[in-house]
Amino acid sequence: MTHGQTIAIASGKGGVGKTWFAITLAHALTRLGRRAMLFDADLGLANVDIQLGLTPRLDLATVISGKATLADATLHCADGGFDIVAGRSGSGLLSAIDPATLERTLAALQIAAARYDVVLLDLGAGLERAVRRMSAWANRLLVLATEEPTSLTDAYAVLKLYAADRPDGKARIVVNQASTRTAGERTFATLERACQTFLGRAPALAGIIRRDERVGDAIRRQTLLLSRHPNAPAAVDIEAIARSL
Amino acid sequence: MRLKRYRAAGMAQAMAQVRAELGADALILATQRLGNGVEVTAALEPDEAPLTPLVSADPKLVAALDFHGVPALLRGELQRGDLATTLAGAFGFAALPLEERPLLIAGPPGTGKTLTVARLATRLVMSGIKPLVITADGKRAGATEQLAAFTKLLGISLVVACHPVTVGRALTRREPDTPVLIDCPGCDAYDPAQVEELSALASTANAAIVLVLAAGLDPAEAVDVARIYASAGARLLIATKLDLARRLGSILAAAGTGLALAEAGIGPGAADGLLPITPAWLAARLLSGVS
Repeated sequence: MTHGQTIAIASGKGGVGKTWFAITLAHALTRLGRRAMLFDADLGLANVDIQLGLTPRLDLATVISGKATLADATLHCADGGFDIVAGRSGSGLLSAIDPATLERTLAALQIAAARYDVVLLDLGAGLERAVRRMSAWANRLLVLATEEPTSLTDAYAVLKLYAADRPDGKARIVVNQASTRTAGERTFATLERACQTFLGRAPALAGIIRRDERVGDAIRRQTLLLSRHPNAPAAVDIEAIARSL
Repeated sequence: MRLKRYRAAGMAQAMAQVRAELGADALILATQRLGNGVEVTAALEPDEAPLTPLVSADPKLVAALDFHGVPALLRGELQRGDLATTLAGAFGFAALPLEERPLLIAGPPGTGKTLTVARLATRLVMSGIKPLVITADGKRAGATEQLAAFTKLLGISLVVACHPVTVGRALTRREPDTPVLIDCPGCDAYDPAQVEELSALASTANAAIVLVLAAGLDPAEAVDVARIYASAGARLLIATKLDLARRLGSILAAAGTGLALAEAGIGPGAADGLLPITPAWLAARLLSGVS
């Protein structure tokens, strides 16, 4: 992995485990010795800080409104060993961010990224302009999908927009909540075939994360899966993805 | 993409369901044995226009629009791509209709109307055309003298008309096809009586009202003034004092009300101080000199 990489994490559909994945991937990368930052770019319903049990004084909303710099709003997650910039849940102000302000924020993030090995952007659900722009802006895009038809359709929509915005871009798929590895591979193959036929290009597979009740347990306790259940199948799967980046 | 899963006892039945519901163009994404049957995942991509790529705003352009104080409503449109192209789409650009109708050079006090008339007259004389120059600005001390200094130098006559009737008389007496430039007294846009007077003069002279607006005004103020002039019948805009102000947000804001951009006052010279505005020129001007 090269220095200052930006990786956007999108899914189209909500509720597929995107924020949990972003946090755990940041943790896994940290455990591999990488300096990681997690930027909560879910402009409408941010909750990275909630999952981590943090209470940030400053967040992305204060940065966007110009009351704080990105550096001021960056806080260290001591349990995970990585930095985060929290979003602000329920702030309609952020989802209506105007293009110029978004560009300024991304420019600041680009500068901040130089201090890290990798910056993860946890994007919101949906396909709003800001989500689309940030997907195209990052060096890489990871698209999270589950085997549900709605998730597949929405992941496909993300990939379709990405193909238009970044003809050179190479998106990768993460299948989450797979009942088995084989089922996860089938889910990926389904999406791959749709993209190859309809878009003329197929995404690669970043990894399959098996369904695991310990994930829900960690989220409920606001703790990190890799700390609480380091040998859980989902933990092993996400570490494999971190190593492949 | 429309995606649907079909379950049936056998493959043939499942495929029949797919064809019946999604048609012959359906793509089979996956097939799977399930207990004593099969599951087929099929998809259909409706025909639609190709997606327009989301053009990321060029940071230099964003900085320039910031610097000039371009109102938010115009920014989205102007950030879509090449500035000269987006300007041409967002605003009207028009030449002054000198050959068609008398021009009423109007605007708030102090925007450079008299100098604009002198410059337009100079341009015409230099191209071999002698315009009729009328000043309706009998009120302001020295206004007639200022214009007379130019017309004398150009060897053309100046009609001083303090009343619309006098303007009308001068117009009927002119040689056919003579371009007419009328220098108006400063008109406070917020005084309805003054705006009414301007409208009356325009209709007596059957003239096109051209708003002269100086750069550097607050953009919101410029919009208000432009709207009032537009409601009085103005369709054209001359931006002046571009050499004295660096920010052009007010000019774009005024043009955004529907006034077509015609000329720009860019320097003190009578012969070269006024330039027709083109999208390319305006784009270059907006992008240069940003600090």
